[in-house]
Amino acid sequence: MKPLVLGDLEFQSRLLLGTGKFSSSAVMLEAVKASGAQIVTVALRRFNRERPSDDLLGPLMTLKNITLMPNTSGARDAAEAVKAARLARELCGSRLIKVEIHPNPHHLLPDPIETYEAAKILAADGFIVMPYMPPDPVLAKRLEEAGCASVMPLGSTIGSGNGIAAGGLLDIIINNSNVPVIVDAGLRAPSEAAAAMEAGCAAVLVNSAIAAAGNPSAMAQAFAAAVQAGSAAYEAGLMARSTTAAATSPLTLFLG
Amino acid sequence: MDNPSQYWSLAQAINTAASRADNRQIFSAMGAQRPGPRELALMLQPQARAHLEQMAARAKSLTARHFGNTVSLYAPLYLSNYCSSGCVYCGYASDRKQPRRKLPFDAVARELDALKREGFEEILLLTGERTPQADFEYVQACVRMASELFPQVQVEAFPMTVDEYRKLNLAGCVGVTLYQETYHPVVYDMMHRWGPKKDFAGRVSAPAHVLEAGMRTVGMGVLLGLSDPVVDSIALYLHAEEFRKKYWRSGIAISFPRIRPQEGGFQPAHPVEDRLLAQIVFAFRIVMPDVPLVLSTREKPLFRDGMAGVGISRMSAASRTTVGGYAGAPAEDRGQFEVSDRRSVMEICDMLQAKKIEPVFKNWDAVYTG
Repeated sequence: MKPLVLGDLEFQSRLLLGTGKFSSSAVMLEAVKASGAQIVTVALRRFNRERPSDDLLGPLMTLKNITLMPNTSGARDAAEAVKAARLARELCGSRLIKVEIHPNPHHLLPDPIETYEAAKILAADGFIVMPYMPPDPVLAKRLEEAGCASVMPLGSTIGSGNGIAAGGLLDIIINNSNVPVIVDAGLRAPSEAAAAMEAGCAAVLVNSAIAAAGNPSAMAQAFAAAVQAGSAAYEAGLMARSTTAAATSPLTLFLG
Repeated sequence: MDNPSQYWSLAQAINTAASRADNRQIFSAMGAQRPGPRELALMLQPQARAHLEQMAARAKSLTARHFGNTVSLYAPLYLSNYCSSGCVYCGYASDRKQPRRKLPFDAVARELDALKREGFEEILLLTGERTPQADFEYVQACVRMASELFPQVQVEAFPMTVDEYRKLNLAGCVGVTLYQETYHPVVYDMMHRWGPKKDFAGRVSAPAHVLEAGMRTVGMGVLLGLSDPVVDSIALYLHAEEFRKKYWRSGIAISFPRIRPQEGGFQPAHPVEDRLLAQIVFAFRIVMPDVPLVLSTREKPLFRDGMAGVGISRMSAASRTTVGGYAGAPAEDRGQFEVSDRRSVMEICDMLQAKKIEPVFKNWDAVYTG
């Protein structure tokens, strides 16, 4: 498989993992290992240097071959996200930042205006910016122009398990993007991850579907296999889809 | 709503319509795509009690979907038990023969230190109604002190002006809890015998002031037992739903306090037994899948253990409801209410972990505050 290129970094795995919602950090670490993921995202608000048993950062830093991608979940606007990103970079030493700005704490949908503003500032500040965004093709291009290393359109709302709700829009984003497109949020089943990869996504980010599974490690492996299969299928070139049968006697033969 | 008594009257009408429901209607309410007040009312009917197990299963899966396999923990810190109101049901009402104390700032610092050592990262500062002893400036100063140590500070005190809430927000407070107690205007008037809390309309409009000031969350609730708990629950839902559309940058949290024994010996007119309280929590989780639902140490260990993760996503732990209770309150002090779950923080964590739920202390960062 071709490597996933984000800024000046290269990764073999195309499955990214979220680290919240697990029943314990031990279960989370096992799932990360089982997934083969090389990038994991962790919320700054779950960093707790004072109480190791409540901290998500410490355990993740013990893993080898993992690049941390802190996220700004909790930020309500660009200014807060920029502050959070700088603090997170200082604390975990990673230039990757997932810009996550959701002013509404219930549906957690990203604010496109604030996300764009934060992305411009952070890209200029040397971050490898990964913006969590609504599946909006125009916003995707604006974020690319702002210097983002990827775009991360949501499949559906966080934790919903509703899969890829706006596949048509995702196709437009993929067809027009010069940066990797990573589906983030909403995936429930490995088959959905495979479908996203077959459609040309560069990677997928999964959290709830693994954390809430009966056996998180086994589900992480299943997602990893699905992402590989979908990616290989995309590379191999899928047969074109057609709704009509090909006529055996050509209808336009009479035209000569 | 224009008239504050309309929450009750509308809730009553919705409840009356739901009371005639059959099994089929209750089932369809439980699985509704976009449930609203009608579905809530249906799930709160006595005939829905037969489906409590199914409601619990749905509540559990929705809680896991939105909050993961986690429960966040916080601690209440009573700053003062001076009060200017005469709430019939409250151990701190101004006519109770109760030693009155307000924590001086050095004692506030000791309490904060004690809670920090326990591992808490989120705290709720409480006072009674506004008094000269514990006024706005005092609460504001305590918020400033607390926000030096804790990433998340919330306040449960007296209704304030929008301007005061703005100042409190700047001082480091991210959320305010203000229970309506009851939406029944006549019962409300009887329960609140004197003092500023007697102002029903003022109380109903106060949560909106919190959100207008830009706070992240407002905590809402009714004191279950004062009036018909089903109608009060529906009214609470109607009130909370108004905020969802109007104050879209903020969130709400719902708590489920029910009347516990306290100083003064008040007996509730509508006692809420365990099964009904569980039914209310499950129904709220189903109609508000993404709203934090909170359970305090008023409840007994067995009930709290059963509800953790099954609707409930946030709990207090190892609470003291006396002023100065964490770092040395006099033994003769009585709390605002009787704590039923006296387990330590570690015991609560062990209980949650045994249920495969991660106790979360820090789920916020000071970088997002002020």
